[in-house]
Amino acid sequence: MTLPPDVLPLASISAMRPVFLIIMGVFLLLTAWRITRGTTGWAPRLLMGGAMMLAIGYSVIVPLYQGGVLMAIPASGIVVGDAASAVAWEVIKLVTMNGGWLVFGLGLAIHAGVFETEKSAAPVQVPISSSSIHEPLR
Amino acid sequence: MSPFVDFVIKNGFLMDACGVIGLGLLGLGAVRLSRRYQSWGGSLLAFGAMLLLIGRLWVIVMKQFMTAKAAASMGHTMSELVMLAPFVLLTAGLAGVVWGLWGHEQWLRSER
Repeated sequence: MTLPPDVLPLASISAMRPVFLIIMGVFLLLTAWRITRGTTGWAPRLLMGGAMMLAIGYSVIVPLYQGGVLMAIPASGIVVGDAASAVAWEVIKLVTMNGGWLVFGLGLAIHAGVFETEKSAAPVQVPISSSSIHEPLR
Repeated sequence: MSPFVDFVIKNGFLMDACGVIGLGLLGLGAVRLSRRYQSWGGSLLAFGAMLLLIGRLWVIVMKQFMTAKAAASMGHTMSELVMLAPFVLLTAGLAGVVWGLWGHEQWLRSER
């Protein structure tokens, strides 16, 4: 069986990766929504905010860059086409991806209780003499 | 150009640092989840976060050191490998994070 030549690129890694990213971004948002459903506090807010930013970044912005719709700013700084929109998309990408991971990581860290101190399980020995000042001296 | 856009474009390194710090926090929280609460999603989440962290750092470092001269000295195959490896790491890391989050959600559901 021979495949027509224009079908083969569709199965390549570079064609699959944007699709994979879109699915992962949507699934991340869905899972975060399922975790935070019916809860209140800062951890679910941050988790949800971060997941939304990441979903925008992974499902919309990065596939557009990978598909060649948006062009990355080259190191020389000379942009072909509309410079203002290229800069704006670059800013959106930087903010959604990096800010998204920061907010999402912070939310998960709060959810896991990284910033809480665990109470020690060790038995606390109170000296007998200092237990109560009203006891008669022995 | 507005001051915010100017700041973000000129201090791209600062934004990269934000992302790396967030991934570190994600890994820290995931390790805590798997260690203290025995959530199996937590260990997958930590694995994914570590892969993403390595891939992200690789990309950031590569931007600084991968000049045309360095690529020529490494040879074609090696430089291709160095250029493409972080994307494998980033893809696998994202899959790990999403799968781990899903696993943690399932674990929460069974615990509640």
